Amino acid sequence: MPLVEPGATGAKTETEAVAPIKGGNPGQKRRLGLTFWLSAGWIFTLVFLALFRDILPIRDPDELGIRTREVAKFESPGRNACGGGDGQGRDMFARVVQGARPALILGLTVTIIGGILGSAVGVTSGYLRGKVDTVTTVFIDIALAFPGLVLLIAVRATFGNSMFVFIVLFSLTSIPGYARIVRGASFALSERDFVDAAAAMGATKRRIILRELAPNIALPVLSFAFIGFALVIVAEGGLAFIGLSLDETTWGKLIADGAGDIARHAHVALFPATVMFLTILAFNLVGDSMRALYSPREVATQRRLRVGAMADTGSGDEVLYIDDLFTALHTPNGDVHAVDGVSLSLKAGEALGLVGESGSGKTMILRSIVGAFALADVTRTGTVEVAGVDMLRAEPADIKRTLGTQIGMVSQNPLTALNPVRLIEHQITEPMLVHTSMSKSEARTRALELMQQVGIPAPERRLREYPHQLSGGMRQRVTIAIALANEPELLLADEPTTALDVTVQDQILRLLSDLQRDRKMAMVLVTHDLAVVKGFTDRVAIVYGGEVIESGPTEQIFSNPRHRYTVALIQSMPNLDLPSHSELTTIEGTPPSLVSPPRGCRFAARCPAAQDICNTTPPSTNEASEHWFRCHFPAGDDAEGAA
Amino acid sequence: MLIFVQRLGRLVFVFFVVTFVTFFLLDQAPGDPAERFAGLNATPEVIEGIRAELGLNGSLIERYLRWLGNAVRFDFGDSIVTRGFSSWDLIRESLPKTLELMVFAEIMAIGIAVPLALASARRPGSFIDKASSSTAFGLLALPAFVLGIYMSFIFGVKLGWFPTIVDNLPGLNDDPLDNLRQMFLPSLTLALNLVAVYLRLLRSDLIETLQEDYVMLAQARGLSERRIMWRHVLRPSSLNFTTAVGLNIAGLIGGAFIIEVLFAINGMGRLVIQSVILEDFNVVAAVVAILTVAYVMMNFLVDVLYSILDPRIRHAAR
Repeated sequence: MPLVEPGATGAKTETEAVAPIKGGNPGQKRRLGLTFWLSAGWIFTLVFLALFRDILPIRDPDELGIRTREVAKFESPGRNACGGGDGQGRDMFARVVQGARPALILGLTVTIIGGILGSAVGVTSGYLRGKVDTVTTVFIDIALAFPGLVLLIAVRATFGNSMFVFIVLFSLTSIPGYARIVRGASFALSERDFVDAAAAMGATKRRIILRELAPNIALPVLSFAFIGFALVIVAEGGLAFIGLSLDETTWGKLIADGAGDIARHAHVALFPATVMFLTILAFNLVGDSMRALYSPREVATQRRLRVGAMADTGSGDEVLYIDDLFTALHTPNGDVHAVDGVSLSLKAGEALGLVGESGSGKTMILRSIVGAFALADVTRTGTVEVAGVDMLRAEPADIKRTLGTQIGMVSQNPLTALNPVRLIEHQITEPMLVHTSMSKSEARTRALELMQQVGIPAPERRLREYPHQLSGGMRQRVTIAIALANEPELLLADEPTTALDVTVQDQILRLLSDLQRDRKMAMVLVTHDLAVVKGFTDRVAIVYGGEVIESGPTEQIFSNPRHRYTVALIQSMPNLDLPSHSELTTIEGTPPSLVSPPRGCRFAARCPAAQDICNTTPPSTNEASEHWFRCHFPAGDDAEGAA
Repeated sequence: MLIFVQRLGRLVFVFFVVTFVTFFLLDQAPGDPAERFAGLNATPEVIEGIRAELGLNGSLIERYLRWLGNAVRFDFGDSIVTRGFSSWDLIRESLPKTLELMVFAEIMAIGIAVPLALASARRPGSFIDKASSSTAFGLLALPAFVLGIYMSFIFGVKLGWFPTIVDNLPGLNDDPLDNLRQMFLPSLTLALNLVAVYLRLLRSDLIETLQEDYVMLAQARGLSERRIMWRHVLRPSSLNFTTAVGLNIAGLIGGAFIIEVLFAINGMGRLVIQSVILEDFNVVAAVVAILTVAYVMMNFLVDVLYSILDPRIRHAAR
């Protein structure tokens, strides 16, 4: 694309978040790789040859080989002339080295002038914002939208093509690209704490721009400068190729001259073309390596669901049977043991509350049941059975059918749970159309029924709307309707009310609970709210550090909590029976690392009753009993202790 | 609707700026077209007459407005060099070829980039992902004319599958097979640069969408991977991509010019370059105007498409 056209490559830079250097994660050391040094070496060699062409043993680029007999007409590349000779026996290598000069001079001047001017525009508008920014953005937009080549041709028609005209024109056209990059970077940075801190300490705006913003913008600009350099070479080459060349030996002109004879003497065009390609590639690679220094790591993990061998099966009447489930997420920083030996079972009509702090692994238990982990690289071992189907080892088609017909899932945030670009109708009918033999009109009728059941007024109209036209509570009702579409036996609800307005939280929970009872579904309700558990579940499992640490009937857990963590959780509940202004207890400390979990009891570090054994030996338990717990020194007066 | 009006307003503004700047620049050019047109032995009176006839008298603004008024009726004045032909005649002959080239290139680029991006994003880090990402990076370093040289060397010279020069191109309606065979290499060359841009952009947006809750829930509903990718993931991921298509149209025009020179296609690019070299400024101004209109219209179409893809935009505009 001739003319410095940041629209082409710039589109990609726009989407990249610019991570500031001060706020980056210091744990990861980043290095410039081999490709960087190879590319830098190529650029250096090129500059060296172009600079010292006269004193190096390189032939005169205009010397006619047909006269001197040193290089033959159309001589093939070889020992005599590594780039071969052209139609008049001129040494192609010498001509390409000569052609590097205008490319490099133009690239360098334009990069410096355009870079400085563009950065100035970008910083000013990104940091000062307001009207300055609005005007600049409009200007940048229009400049980027300009059909540049056309304009350039018009300019060429008027002013001819001298180096000066090229420099002025290319510099002008490269300003918007730099301005946009810098504006984005300084925009992100000016919201960060250290800039605010500097402002609070009385630094003037000018000082902030110079001292705080400049270093954090320098690297993105420098990296873009290399890419911009390449763009200039491309643009100059393109113009030369179409006949607007600076002089007789620019790369674009050499390629154009050779192109006509490509059928018989391909090297005359291919040699300069390849040198040009490698040069542009080198500049891009250098710029890209530098960008890798500051931009956040890309998701490079691969999704693989590995499944361990050996399965225990449930007794048969459970809707959900989980035995010794381990789920590990493989991340660059090590494996995260998100679910660590969890066993659970649930019969029809039962509601189980999964309770724990955020990060305890309760959501991961749900995700492990359905096996949906976005792009994360995950290994699951153990057993998960839903309605008798082994969700880890069965045929993919059976697993998919079970997912579609036996399980309904409601997620935490209704704002992100619905696809923003699809009609509500399509989202509700899809599971029916995919997994059952229902026709479109049957599915639509059923969708209307479902919407009435979950309490959506005017369902006819709502079906033809998009998610953004509904309130948060309404959207959650829609996700519940989708979950119920194929009459599942198991309902998985992942904190279904946390993202909702307090006034609708109770409505949604009541709705879920009523539906569960009426339809005799088994339900797993994930929450961190004990009051919700108390009101809506039959049994409770307390999750801590990827493990279930206490489990039993809801009543017993509340009347006789045994694990110290459960006790602390219940004490931290607001209690309306206590006199007002009584202090709520909080649990000191933070949950354990799931990358390298503690050897003994996971709660030991925060436990008021911990002794030496708690740090060294994991407490054992009898998971077969109705109410069990993992604790060496349980609370409560009966002296049973850990089984 | 308001947003459309705003966008259209901005595009019309671009049109006026581009055409005026071009008109102004051409006006600064040394030499008097009236004198050239009249020939060496013309008397001042004759030259004055021609000046009036060619519409060269009056102030710059006056002339621009007059030109604009005529341009609306596709009257861009005569070509000064090829006497007897109007600028519009020359454009009408070359425009279809350039348009065909650009449309084919865009179709090929989207046709290659979308499936590749889907395959890459599904398994980031897999062989197909790494291979297509590095190829895209390499393609970004290949200017259209360098890539074109390679393409015609490989497919034209070595393999002999396609002609390296477009010669006597038949209309798409007259002989579609021959037309497509001749236009294949030029279109592909133009397309491959776009593929690189589109692939990188779409891949990263797809990966972002794949981590959304609604995709997780779609997986949890037991939908097939193919259905999830095409029905649930592609559309919400294609918004930035659509913008990029619009942004790249300006670049595509420039790329098409170069391809025309390389493959000897008698399109708008060759016409305008020739006219610049021969100082046939009526034709230059006409080409600029037509291209700017085409550019503005295509960008408007992209905006419309964008709002079809994203219902949130459509309703925000209400």
